[in-house]
Parts: sequence; structure tokens; C-alpha cells
Amino acid sequence: MWSYLLKRILLSVLIVFLAILALFITLHSIPGDPISIALGPRATPEIQAEYAARMHLDKPLYHQFVIFIGNVLKGDLGNDLFSNRSVLLILSEQLPYTIVLAVTAIGWSALIGIPLGCLSAVKPNSLLDKITGIVSVGTIAIPSFLVSIWAILIFSVGLKWLPVIGAGEPGDFGDQIYHLILPAFAVGLGWVGYLARMVRASMLEVMSENYIRSANAFGLKSRTIIFKYALKVAILPTITLIGVGFGALLSGTVFAEIIFSRPGIGKIIYNMVLARNFPVIQGAVLITIGMYVIVTLIADLAVSWLDPRVRDTL
Amino acid sequence: MSKILQTRRQLLQTIAFAGIAGTAVGKFPGIAYAADGATLKIQFERELDSLDPGYFVGGSPPCDVNWALMPALVHYGRGGGWIPSPHVESVVARDATHIDFTLRKGMMWTNGFGEVTTEDVAYSYDREAVSEWKGDYVAYDHVEIKDKYSGTIVLNQPFAPFMNTTLASGTGIIICKKAVEAAGGKFTTEQPASCGPYLIAEHRPGQVLKLRSNPEWNGAKPAYENIDCLFVTESSAAALAYEAGELDIAKVSADTYARYLKEIPANSSLTVAGALQYMWMGMNTDHPKLKDIRVRQAIQHAVDASAVVQGAYSGTAEQSYGVVCPGLTGRRDKAGYSYDPTKAKALLEEAGVSGLKLTLRTLNNQERMLTAQIIQANLAAIGVTVEIIPLDGGPFWDMGQEKKGDTWKELELWIMRYSSGPDPYEPFQWFVRGQVGVWNWERWSSDEFEDLFAKGVAETDTGKREAIYTRMQEIMDETGAYVYLTHEPEVFIHKSSLSPHFSPTAEMIVGAFKEA
Repeated sequence: MWSYLLKRILLSVLIVFLAILALFITLHSIPGDPISIALGPRATPEIQAEYAARMHLDKPLYHQFVIFIGNVLKGDLGNDLFSNRSVLLILSEQLPYTIVLAVTAIGWSALIGIPLGCLSAVKPNSLLDKITGIVSVGTIAIPSFLVSIWAILIFSVGLKWLPVIGAGEPGDFGDQIYHLILPAFAVGLGWVGYLARMVRASMLEVMSENYIRSANAFGLKSRTIIFKYALKVAILPTITLIGVGFGALLSGTVFAEIIFSRPGIGKIIYNMVLARNFPVIQGAVLITIGMYVIVTLIADLAVSWLDPRVRDTL
Repeated sequence: MSKILQTRRQLLQTIAFAGIAGTAVGKFPGIAYAADGATLKIQFERELDSLDPGYFVGGSPPCDVNWALMPALVHYGRGGGWIPSPHVESVVARDATHIDFTLRKGMMWTNGFGEVTTEDVAYSYDREAVSEWKGDYVAYDHVEIKDKYSGTIVLNQPFAPFMNTTLASGTGIIICKKAVEAAGGKFTTEQPASCGPYLIAEHRPGQVLKLRSNPEWNGAKPAYENIDCLFVTESSAAALAYEAGELDIAKVSADTYARYLKEIPANSSLTVAGALQYMWMGMNTDHPKLKDIRVRQAIQHAVDASAVVQGAYSGTAEQSYGVVCPGLTGRRDKAGYSYDPTKAKALLEEAGVSGLKLTLRTLNNQERMLTAQIIQANLAAIGVTVEIIPLDGGPFWDMGQEKKGDTWKELELWIMRYSSGPDPYEPFQWFVRGQVGVWNWERWSSDEFEDLFAKGVAETDTGKREAIYTRMQEIMDETGAYVYLTHEPEVFIHKSSLSPHFSPTAEMIVGAFKEA
């Protein structure tokens, strides 16, 4: 297990490095002069030169990359070009909102999707299975932004039950939950379908295994067979899916953060790309990559703990 | 006993559940409806990056907040034009180059920095005159300090728009010399000292800016004790938030404006805060395909701007007949050409051009793309094939600038929109000779135009300015390089109980908001 852990961590470090390199090249390949976009048409040549020097844009690209990596290793992600605030501080303010939204969205969808998938698999081709199938495909097919808009129109504009904008007052837990309901619903709805379909397919495969038939032959209770023996194996691909899905949600919550005017990493990346605020973009994407790698690592470790056979593979 | 509660255990369970539910409901606030008590909730379209009028990078100065927090000599009045601010006893233009002012005594800076003085005024304007906003201060020379409260602004040349476009705008904000120097000479969102009807109580970046009335303010008390400025960057999200009752005022897009014109939410009003944007299709007069003025004139006659107003803006924008925006001196009701496809075809034939293929570059937002498609159809009707090239802001704003690559050489047609200030001289500054290859992408120049531009800036007689700016637009027509399209209005929806106030450039002057 320790050897597997070490290999996975080294692989994660390599992934982060390659991702940073790709990010750096991509950012600097975006058409348009970052100086004129960031400073606007009124900036004087002196202000442009000062900006270029501050951003190291007057140096060759490889030099800029070395400076960036060096600063990252020192924990310095630079300062926001406009407000001059520390990027690390900005991101530390924004990240919790995105994590809470992603965890809540994936959490509630797992709570609904996994049992739905189990029920469908236990009673294949039943009415419940068919309804679950239709609902699952439906939730997967509806784009999340459409769910957001309809949810706002029904629950906020029509019924006035739930708020549209913001993340609630800091320190007021109830208010924060209140502001989380609609975005988490919109982000998580599609995952209900994904998880239900994934668990159903895995369960059907596992339920046809010999050891399940043996358990049935020994007269074990069906609840014990499903939850103690079948689900433990069938859940493995689902855990991987949740891990990858959570990572994707860290940047994929952008639509919810914009529509619901919530703070968060996705929204900040979107706004900063438009403004070519490179330090914040680089910092935000770096944090997202780091989170993605950590969550994937945790998912892989969970799978290897549940199924020791995967420790021999990488 | 009812059938629902048949046992003692069920009764206890029900009471316990009710208790938990009650606690939860008590914990959950109701929706923070706008105009809740004395708090006004307004939409801010963009994040607050800097409040320092001298060091604001990119975009426009953040005057909508600064006007509520900081002193100025003049403000924009509700009836249009400028009015003395609450910080002054008087502001009088003695002659074309001297403006006398007297500050009110006892206007105190926060954080113990004493009174607002003439020295602060001189420091603020001197600083602005060397900032990236120095264009607004091109005619400014210096401030003569008479005493602590009075002085004279001296201009180096007559400059008719000085009051409206400089002193009343965001660059006319006065800052506290002692406080700014103590802060190292500049600041961003944390003002070292302020002096206005409001104070910043809290700023959560990306979420909210909370303004609270300033207890030390000795001017007229503002109508609202508290103003929460919520950062909602998407206009459709803001409209939904308004409809849900979470905002008291929000800016609306063209399509939402069209929807509200048919059916407006209850107890709401629409205010058009100005239409100081001018959009046109430009043509590169240096490009070989467009070198012949008859080809450019044919294109002028082929485009139906009224179709753009209807098709791309749902009839909510005003048709444009020049670069001077509605409400300003020199605004025309007719351009020097008209929509006439037959004449357009004749001009092309006369020029001996057939099978012409052109590219049309535009920003890739909804209205511009629709506009481009309408123009594409219009030009197809006279036998000109147009390829639309949608672009992100980055490459778009660089494409006509000689310093930013060679795209300007292959530039043919493009859709452009600029914003104007409240004085008609502003749009013309981008088309003078010095702007060729910078912002004058049509790449023409004219001695008469240069001469008139200088005269217009110095002229104070409205009738003469009208004649000057009308003639300048005629010169632009005659180049054949412009097809004027629209003036987009800046529209806000707000509670009918609110009487908002805007600058001519449609920034909210929140300190002057009052109850209707």
C-alpha cells in the first residue's frame, strides 16, 4: 500500500507540473496584447512599460515560466493586477464557496443516485427501473444552466421561496444554506442520472457473479447480499466517477456561480480571463488542478483500499 | 384524540419535529428582499478594482461609488448639465480660462485628516493631470490657492467641455492630500480618507459593497441609510434577481428591455439613463478592395440601419445618423446617405466591381453578431459576399492598431462601438489625424476636420458648436468610410418608489438616489 501511495503521489506531482506548463503555454498563446487588454486604451507608454516589467512580460517566455514556478514553490502566486491584493488571499476567500457548492451538489446527487441505481438493478425491467431510467437520462440530458434558469423562475421569481443571488451572510449558517439550495440543485441534478446509471450497470454485472449466486444459494438475506457483498464491489467505479466528477465540478460550477452571482473559483477564472488578469488566472487554475489531483488521488486510494488488486497497477 | 397522534410517543415525536422545524425556520432568514427597511439594494455590473481616480487601470473610473464617498467641485444635476456639489459654496467660470471656487467650511475628512481644503483640490487635479486620465486634463494648467477654502482653476486654453467632462466626471474627484501621501501616494479599494454622504462599511470582493450613511457628514442627509451594492455581472441574472425582489434597481439588456416594454413587473419603472454609445460599420479606406470611394458609397447605400435596430436590438436602440449621440449638440436626424440598394448597385457598376468578397470583423456577442448577419444579407442583395469573422475582445481591439501587428493591413469592414461623454467633442477626438493607425482605423484625414476639431473644443457658443460638429460629421460621411448603425440606450429597471439619478454616461449616482 505504501509503495502504491508513493507512486501515486509522484505521479500527481508530475501531473501538476505538466498541467502548469500547459496552462502557461495556453495563457500566453491567447491572441491579443495582454497589456492593452488589461490596461485599456488610455494607458500611457510609461504605465504599459511599468506593467510589463511588473508582470515580467518584457522577458522571454521560458524565463517567465521559471519565475512563475519559482514563485509557486515559494507559495507566492503574485498580486491581482487591479486591486493589488494577494492572489492567494483572493483564492482563499473564493475557494471555500466552490468546494461547498461542489460537495453539496455531488453529495445530494450521490444520496439519491446510488440508491436509485441499486433499486433499478435489484428489480431490472420493473416499472421502477423504467421510471428511473427515464428520469436518469432526462437529468443527464438537460443542461445545467437550463435547470438553473427554470429553478430560478419557479422557486425565486414565481414562488419567491428561495434567493437568486449571493452566497448568504458570512457567519450566518442558515442564510448560507438557504443560498446554497438552488445552485446545488442545479449543479447536482445531472449527476443523479449519471450515478444511478453507473451503479445500476455495475450492480447488474456484480449480481450475476458466482459468489452472489453462492450467497443466494446459502440463503443469505437479499439485503445482506446487496449491501454487504454486491454494492461493495459495484461501488468501485462509482467512487472513481465521483472523484473525477468532483474535480470537474471545481471548475464546472462556473455557470452556477455566474447565474446565481455566487463567489467562487469558476466565476473568478471567467472574469479574469476576460480581463487578462494573468496572476489570478494562473493562481486559480493552479489551485483547481491541485484540488483535482488531490481528489482523484483520494478516490484512487479509496478504491485500492476496497479492492487491493488495483495496488499492483498504476 | 385525533387519529394522527394515536400514541404518546407519536405526540412527542411530532412536538420534537415541530421544534426542530421551527428552529430551522427561525434560523433560515426570509429572502433578503430589496428595500428591506432602509437598505437599498442595487446591482453593480463589475467588481470594484480601484477607487483611486489617478491610478485606475482599464475601463472607466469608478465614479458611481466615488461620488457617494468623495468630494468634488461639481456634480451632474438631475436636469442635465452640472451643478455645484454639496462640498462647495460656489463654482463660477469667471472667463474662458478661469474657474473660481469656494469650498464649504467644516467638510471633514474621515480618519482625522481635518477639513477639505484648496490644497486638496490642487493636489488632486495636479495628480490627475499626469495620470493615465490626463486626456481629461489637457486644458488644465494649475490651481491658484487663495486661501484654505477658495481658489481658481486656471486653464491653458479655452476648453468648453471642462466642467462637464472633467470636473463633473469621475476624474474630477478630490482626494485628501495628507491621507494619500501617508498611504504611500496611491491606494486601491481602501480609501485612506473620504468625505461624502456614505462610508464603506464592508467590501466582500465579488459579492457586495455595503455603504452606510456617514455620521460625520454635515451636508444634506441621504435618502437611504444603507445601500448594498451587489456585484451581478450578468444582466440576465440581474433581471431575474430584480424580478425575484432581491434588487431595487438593475441594468437591463436590449432583449430584456424589449420584454419589459411589453410587460413590466409590478410596481416597477424603466429609466433610460442615456444613449451615449455610437455603433457604426467602418471601412478601411487604404485597403485595395475599398480604395475606390464609389465602392464604399455603394456599401453605405446598401446597409439598412433600421433593420439592425429592429432585428438586433428589438427596436430598443435609436438609429444613428452620425457619431454625435442623442441629446448632444450636433446630433443629426439624417445622414449624408440613405438606404438605397438600387443606387448601391449602380455605384458598384460604375466602379466596375463585381463578385466582391469582403470580411466583416465583429466582437462575438449576440447583438453584434445579429448586426453582422443583417449587414451580410444587405450586402448580398447587391452582390457583395461577406464573410463574418467573430472575435474575442483581445484580438478585436488590437486589429486596427499599427503597433499591435499587421492585421490593420488586411482589415476591410468591422463593426465598432465607442462610448461618448456628455460633450460632443469626445467622439471626434478618435478620428483626427493623430489617431490614424491608433483608433482611426478608417485611416483618412482632412485638414478641414483638424481645424474644426480645434475650433469646436474652444468654442462656447452652442449655435456655433452645432454648426462645427454637423460639418465634421458631413466630412466623415464624405469619406464613405462609415455606415452609422445605432445608439444603444442604457436602461435600468427599478422600483417605482425609487427615483434614481444617473450621470450622462449612465453611471448610477447612488448618493443622490431618493424616494419617488
